[in-house]
Amino acid sequence: MSAPAAIGLVALLLVAGTYVVAVGDRWIAALAGGRRVRARTLLVAPVYSAALAMTTSRTTTERPDGPGWALAPALLTSLAALALAMVPLAPGIVAADPETGFVVFSAAIAFVMIAVFLHGWSPNSMLPLHGAYRYGAQALSFQIPFLLAMLATSLPAESLSLVRIVEAQAPLWNVVRQPLGLPLYLVVGLAVSFWGPLNLPDGDDLAGGTSAEDAGMARLLWGMARSSMLVAVAAMGAAAFLGGWHGPILPGPVWVIVKTLALLGLILAAGHLFARIRIERFVLVSWALLIPLALLNVFVSGAFLL
Amino acid sequence: MTPLVRRLAARAPVPVYPIAGFGMRDAVQDLRLEEGLVLVDTPRAAALLLVAGAIGPKHRDAVARTHDALPHPRATVLWGGDGDGLAIADAPRIDRAADVVPALCDLFARLVLGSRPTEEPILADEDPIEWRGVGPYGQGGTGMTGGTPYGRPMADLGPDRDGLRLDVVPVEIGPFFARLPAGLVLDLSVAGDVIVEAKVASASLGVEREIQMGAARSPFIRALSGPVAIAELEVARARDHLRWMAGALHAQGMPSLGVRALRLAHEVQPGDGDQVRNFGRWTARTGLFHWSLPSGAGRLAPDLPGMGLGPVSRAAGLPEDLRLADPSYQALGFAPRVLDADDVGARWRLRVEEAAAALDLAARAGDAFAGLTGMVESPRGRLTPGDAPSDRAIALIPRLLEGLEWSDALAALVSLDLDLDESGLAVSVDAAVAV
Amino acid sequence: MVALGPLAVATAVTLTALLAVLGLWWFGDRGRGRRTSAPERVPFTGGRAPRVHAWNRYHARYYPMALMFLAFDMEMVFMYPWAVVFVSEGLIAMIEMGMFIGILLLGVLYAWRERALDWA
Repeated sequence: MSAPAAIGLVALLLVAGTYVVAVGDRWIAALAGGRRVRARTLLVAPVYSAALAMTTSRTTTERPDGPGWALAPALLTSLAALALAMVPLAPGIVAADPETGFVVFSAAIAFVMIAVFLHGWSPNSMLPLHGAYRYGAQALSFQIPFLLAMLATSLPAESLSLVRIVEAQAPLWNVVRQPLGLPLYLVVGLAVSFWGPLNLPDGDDLAGGTSAEDAGMARLLWGMARSSMLVAVAAMGAAAFLGGWHGPILPGPVWVIVKTLALLGLILAAGHLFARIRIERFVLVSWALLIPLALLNVFVSGAFLL
Repeated sequence: MTPLVRRLAARAPVPVYPIAGFGMRDAVQDLRLEEGLVLVDTPRAAALLLVAGAIGPKHRDAVARTHDALPHPRATVLWGGDGDGLAIADAPRIDRAADVVPALCDLFARLVLGSRPTEEPILADEDPIEWRGVGPYGQGGTGMTGGTPYGRPMADLGPDRDGLRLDVVPVEIGPFFARLPAGLVLDLSVAGDVIVEAKVASASLGVEREIQMGAARSPFIRALSGPVAIAELEVARARDHLRWMAGALHAQGMPSLGVRALRLAHEVQPGDGDQVRNFGRWTARTGLFHWSLPSGAGRLAPDLPGMGLGPVSRAAGLPEDLRLADPSYQALGFAPRVLDADDVGARWRLRVEEAAAALDLAARAGDAFAGLTGMVESPRGRLTPGDAPSDRAIALIPRLLEGLEWSDALAALVSLDLDLDESGLAVSVDAAVAV
Repeated sequence: MVALGPLAVATAVTLTALLAVLGLWWFGDRGRGRRTSAPERVPFTGGRAPRVHAWNRYHARYYPMALMFLAFDMEMVFMYPWAVVFVSEGLIAMIEMGMFIGILLLGVLYAWRERALDWA
């Protein structure tokens, strides 16, 4: 795909995805809270809130790291864009399909830690700083299981290209071939996009954590960046585990969208129905349970290929 | 262009940073049920500051600093207080008994549409210390960042239990930290994410006695000076526990389930014990006790015997409950729930069980009255004039928090169910008796 | 651009997103140019002013785990090419990687026993 087309496609996916996350999250929050809201209210609320952010001034703190503060949401959004650019929508429709697409995606995920840490570091305020360092522990723990869960999908494809990974699922989706893969990916995907029970850096106990000092546009952009990352993780999950564009009757891109929405729904629901995990517990579970399980997944699904 | 954006913005849910002053704790919490409002956790996310109830002189600086932390455009609503010496000339004052929501929505719309100007800062625009470092980025001079910008030095080294010498950050949390009762100020020393030392710098809103005596009375406070029906007391107990649960669920990252708990607190009636038990089972399925609350953390056992801290004592295996000494409760066959674990999770479970049992008891009680005078078992423990359970619990905080990671410390603190209003009211009853 | 291949396209997408958000940050702020007073800049911890700056020589108590991460991250570097040739190399690839990872996992067990994974 040419660069302008790719930029347009990813921008469209990001904007639409962010909006869907904003609406979906409000809807699920209302359901979980036993609150009735009208569909129209749900659909327009994100627009109104965004408009409010635009009319509100940004605040600053004493001696903040100004450039870092601005860079954090930009970096997180660009990483989400990079990750989304690797997701194939249909045969021939993918923003970018390098031979090493999976490696590029992994690199984007690895850099999320930098963006979140920068965001918590920049305001020079205690609660954001705690969130930042907490995400350090979280990120160092989820990297390995996340990559291992994804890596297992490139064994049957014999390639690191995501288009090949989707093509290799024509006979059988990876969610069936590697039953451990998708659950692992989703748990760790929650950690990557720091959402719901794994929203440790921006948690309620830290009064907003890394975003505690964000006002107006800064708050809006960070929220949108978080949602973008969530969309990227869900879309990649749909491609790598749910067979991407494969599916009966409907055209390929529609299947990708349906599957992405399904994963988003699961993640958003988990966000409201599970308690926040203690950081220590998450670190222990990652190393002592998720990594061995992910390795088991790699070797068992590998053994079936021989 | 701008007018359209403003018109859209004026229809957004109103982000409010609430300060729940004396006697307004429950009223502020109830605002979470309002669809048009969002109670936010930090003033940076708010457009309106809601100062509800009275705030003592010692916290007025903190109110002003919170006010100044709001982004522009911003405005303040004073609800049920006396203005509290705040230098906000034309902030709307809403009567304590009136509905504050229309006033908030109206003020917000005028603010965003530009017909009301934003509020200027209250505090004087002075840097604590005028600071100019050496060099283009102020990087020169002495010290880590070239002196003490804003009069604030860098944190200094201190010993740590890991045997290292790294920075220990002294920080005061409160009096208006979103997850803690207003008026509570913790003076913490934090090394990394672990609290190495905790002190309580303030445990009251500091309002005058006359204001306290004029505040609305809960059934438990009324029970100190006259007979109250058991059914009323027990329903109030269940509701109080459910309100606690709403806040505690929020602290563990589940604000929407917290809203559900709050609604349940409004709806439950005598005999609805099973409804509470069902909700308790639901919250247990969120992984709360498996991965969210620190198991074994927050133990207090050696200090607890005789302290009469209600659910905290009973979760530590101590059957301390004034209702046991009450003949009216004995006639109803009352037996307190007791658990052995003495940790954060046990206190949580015990409050759910107690709320359910209280509703069952209320259904059995008919129109019997409590038999004790001058003392009552409040939802937080033994309450007598001038002596509230939260006051006694405050003394346990330093030992409770030391060595805990931040979120564990918060969970432990929340598990104490501190209610500074109850303390103030108990004092005012004491004064009334003395007069 | 097309001649430079998909990696160049990916770079273009990333940079565009980065610049777009930075642009929104600078130009989408209504308070741009407004002078903030000193009290408005005080970091918020509940209403009291902080005594020291928040930046500090932070005791990241999870540092042993961070060291362990380095070992595993190197292992991931080997696993990318390994995954591609796995099917063609067959059992030998499986055994070799199994041995390598088995040894690393023993390291995790040791770290776990030494309480490197919990710190509070």
